[in-house]
Amino acid sequence: MTTPISLNQARGVAITLTDRPIVRSLMAVAFAFIVFGIFIAIIGRDPFEVYAKMFEGTLGSKVGLSEVGVRMIPFVLTALAASIPARVGLINVGGEGQLYIGAWAATGVALYVDFPTIWLMLPAMAFAGFLGGAVWAGFAIALRHFRNVNEVISTLLSNYVAILFVNVFVFGAWKNPTGFGYPYTANFEVESILPAIADTRLHFGLVLPVIGIIATYLFLSRTRWGANMRAVGGNPDAARRRGIPVLRYLIIAMLVGGGLAGLAGMSEVSGIQHHLRPGISNSLGFMGFLASWMANHNPVAIIGTCFLIAVIVVGGDVLQFSGNLPSAAMLILIGLVLFSILGFRRFERKTE
Amino acid sequence: MYNRIRKLPIFTHSHRILIGVFMLMAIVALAACGSDDPTAVPAQPTAVPASSSTDTSGPTTTTATTPSTAELHGGSPDIFLKGFEDAAADSSFRATSKFAAAAKPLAAGEKLKVGFIFVGSQKDLGYNQAAAEGSQYLEKAFPDIEVLRSENIPETADVQAVEEQMIRDGATIIFATSYGYSGPTKAIIEKHPDVMFLHMGDVESFENYSSFFGNIWQLEYAAGQLAGHTSKTGKLGFIAAFPIPQTLLNVNAFHLGAQSVNPDIKTTFVLTSSWCDPAKQATAVQAMVEAGVDVLTQHQDCTKTIVEAAERAGIYVSGYHQDASPAAPNAWLTGAAWNWGPVYSEIVAEIRQGTYKSSVMFQGLDAGWVKLSPFGSFLSDEVKQSILDTVEKLRSGNFQPFTGPITDQDGVIQIADGVVPTDAQLQGTGYLLQGITGRTN
Amino acid sequence: MSDVWLVLGGTLTGAVGPGISVLYATYGELITERAGRINLGIEGSMLMGACFGFIATVETGSVTVGIFAGMIGGGALSLILAYLVIYRNTNQLATGFALTLFGAGITAYAGRSYVDSTIGGLNPISIPFLSEIPKLGSALFEQDILAYTAYALGPLLFWGLHYTRTGLSLKAVGESISVAYAAGRNPYVIQIAAIAIGGALAGLGGAQLSLGFTHTWSEGMTVGRGFVAVGLVIFAMWSPLRAMVGAFLFGGAIGLQLQLQTVGAPVSPFILDMLPYLIIIFVMALWSRASARAMPEGLKGVLKATT
Repeated sequence: MTTPISLNQARGVAITLTDRPIVRSLMAVAFAFIVFGIFIAIIGRDPFEVYAKMFEGTLGSKVGLSEVGVRMIPFVLTALAASIPARVGLINVGGEGQLYIGAWAATGVALYVDFPTIWLMLPAMAFAGFLGGAVWAGFAIALRHFRNVNEVISTLLSNYVAILFVNVFVFGAWKNPTGFGYPYTANFEVESILPAIADTRLHFGLVLPVIGIIATYLFLSRTRWGANMRAVGGNPDAARRRGIPVLRYLIIAMLVGGGLAGLAGMSEVSGIQHHLRPGISNSLGFMGFLASWMANHNPVAIIGTCFLIAVIVVGGDVLQFSGNLPSAAMLILIGLVLFSILGFRRFERKTE
Repeated sequence: MYNRIRKLPIFTHSHRILIGVFMLMAIVALAACGSDDPTAVPAQPTAVPASSSTDTSGPTTTTATTPSTAELHGGSPDIFLKGFEDAAADSSFRATSKFAAAAKPLAAGEKLKVGFIFVGSQKDLGYNQAAAEGSQYLEKAFPDIEVLRSENIPETADVQAVEEQMIRDGATIIFATSYGYSGPTKAIIEKHPDVMFLHMGDVESFENYSSFFGNIWQLEYAAGQLAGHTSKTGKLGFIAAFPIPQTLLNVNAFHLGAQSVNPDIKTTFVLTSSWCDPAKQATAVQAMVEAGVDVLTQHQDCTKTIVEAAERAGIYVSGYHQDASPAAPNAWLTGAAWNWGPVYSEIVAEIRQGTYKSSVMFQGLDAGWVKLSPFGSFLSDEVKQSILDTVEKLRSGNFQPFTGPITDQDGVIQIADGVVPTDAQLQGTGYLLQGITGRTN
Repeated sequence: MSDVWLVLGGTLTGAVGPGISVLYATYGELITERAGRINLGIEGSMLMGACFGFIATVETGSVTVGIFAGMIGGGALSLILAYLVIYRNTNQLATGFALTLFGAGITAYAGRSYVDSTIGGLNPISIPFLSEIPKLGSALFEQDILAYTAYALGPLLFWGLHYTRTGLSLKAVGESISVAYAAGRNPYVIQIAAIAIGGALAGLGGAQLSLGFTHTWSEGMTVGRGFVAVGLVIFAMWSPLRAMVGAFLFGGAIGLQLQLQTVGAPVSPFILDMLPYLIIIFVMALWSRASARAMPEGLKGVLKATT
């Protein structure tokens, strides 16, 4: 015999269900897609057809899926670059610049260091990329510590400096002498190239975000340091009173974050471009930053948000020629998705 | 306290409804305001070509298109074909057989899909728009071709993704229209041996990867000559984005042209480090005016700002990429513009006939790949005629302004006395000539 | 020696030319931050202003309509931020970034068919006598009308912030929402208004860029100047008068590097291009302690810089 549940109980179930972050995020994405669908319908296209083409081009085919994977590699790394500092309350908007410097450093190794095997070359490049990104992020934390300059602004503006810094080398000393004057470095030797996985377009740079996610997850949830990091992020003063070396955590979080963005740069030059050139990244750093915020800096959720952004980006490229939508339409969709995921989050009561 | 603040009148339901209405209105307004992309509308073939049948298997050498000479702006189909014959005679070209998918006869109602990838907006009034208009021309010339276009594709993994997706969609010929697409594109050509990749501006070719670019420097030379005639201060300005070889070649040709009429001419070369930053372009024009420059030209992706700023500053301007003469009736001298439509059509026609050979091809005036923009109305007939004579000399091929000795900024001789450089050598220019102020890095 | 004068002149001309649009955006961000909120979507608001100002001018033929359309466009976009951060309590920085992306998308879509349109635009008005001062005169006093209003707006905002009731309420909200509430104000209404006005001013800056300075609309034409404005507010320590200094310094650095190129300075143009950003960071580092004192309390949640 079943007892009829009262309306109040039903409401209670509904509320607990919609309180789960994943449900709310899915609702948010659905909301954004509906709003964008209305927009598509108004400009005279069939939204169902557009969405069908978009998903067929991304999730419905091997080519599409592999493109989504390729795109996720740098997204996940730059998202982690924003999320690890965010754990201790630092905001790293400099993923783009750190990516460029990481790519620059990895290229330096590829061009000027001569290891005979891929097993030495690629780790050396990855290390250089990590170091490059970490040093670039280190400037921001140094400015913060010694001169009280807030890292939001210093990382934001240093993005532009990093891009120009790479230009100085690519147009100058590192220009390929046999490249007919084009602003590229010499092509990498085969030892410096991340090989492709089977016959897909995915390359072994995939290892980096996978290790990154697992390590970050385990580190944050299973170790004392992870717990300490949360304490530092929550209330630095309280953490300090508990004897946690706050400054050390801030520095390490920022350096690791910058390093991960640097690894993204290394994987882009070594896996995709095979040489350094201007414009190796198209706002990958900014997208990663947004993915991290959408995931509330949770390393597992980052996979989901990066996947979503990658699907929209790849789908947008498909829709340009199969759905006759201009590239700008996809920026609108990404914006809508971001707004609604941020906006649908459960209201956190702020204490003053 | 906090709860009380939360109960302030702004947090009521009526306000939420208002916000919803506001959002809805905004969406409608946006949709109404952004009119459709004109290129998205499938172009109806206005002039049906005479011999663009689907099974051109025989080695016919007639052009598959019959574009009007007005559209060609000075490159008649015959002249146009000559470029391909010259190229075929060059020993560096290899015979190809693998990318034959495009040459297969089509079933009735089936369409050959040709992909075009642009690095910027198709509506930038510059480089990308010139290429996009070329793709529209191609679509009009062949009724059985469907053109797939993707714009704003960065020179990263994105371009590979778009190429893969276009191939998945059935494209057998892909035009990658930006020089930066070369690296990512070359990385995937081996996977798709039956697809023909055509890159604009590379210096090497493979079985199914071909490259071509127009010798637009010839017209920069002519425009430079006109600038030399016009300038009163003897100072010319060139506003560029990045010091890539194509840009350096253009500024050298412009300077050389001006020097041919005024040996003491000085050219100032300024970089904006961005392919399209109108505010910086306008500032660069101001800086040029301060420095006494009275004739400007440029190498940017979006060209309108500099042309209009020159008009407002009361100096002369020479165009690039596209004819922008209506924007500056008092300042416009002439300009160097692309004529990609016939080029694309010709290449596609040859691929379909099975006669195309993978190559690195540079063609200019003689093949009609580039065209001179209209002259400013205020110029005297005498000057106009002298420029047209120069253009004719360049077209005939008897005149190569870069014949040595060519000395660079530092006094180093780059092209020895009497040596005539090849097109490929020129496209790899890495120096600025004596008399040019500026830097290459 | 003549080269030195030339570079100086170019710097001055550049200071005002590309500086004015950044100055408006800086004013806008300043008002927003004084109310205790930070708006990284100012870049998107600038784009909205540039795009819709241009579209309205093309469609109606009237620059005045264009200027107002630009302000409305920029303000409307920032209202989305106001809704999200105040009603939904989202993170301000992430929302602002999303807003920038969204604005870039909307404007690229809406402005597509207007790229090749030509407009009369705003044209320079010479101020008699003042414009005849060598170098300085032509740089400062041969500008369009929006430049002159920007000169006037700085002192006006300074006075407004420090000597009017509205300005004091705004600052009070920025210092503490509770105190402002206890003093009988509705802090959220004030914040929403500040965000909207800030966006509208950024839109005005964008409109100056498209209607006054370049007479052009092209996709993404602000190229990060909105983010620079966010940096300049901190550089200016939340004072409208120092904001003028900062914006002109930024513009001047652009003018300086372009003019240095015309005289053939032996430095890579890319290194010269870094100057504007490095100058902002350097000055922020130099005046950091004063800056920390000047920061509105309400911002310390986001912009804290002490460990």
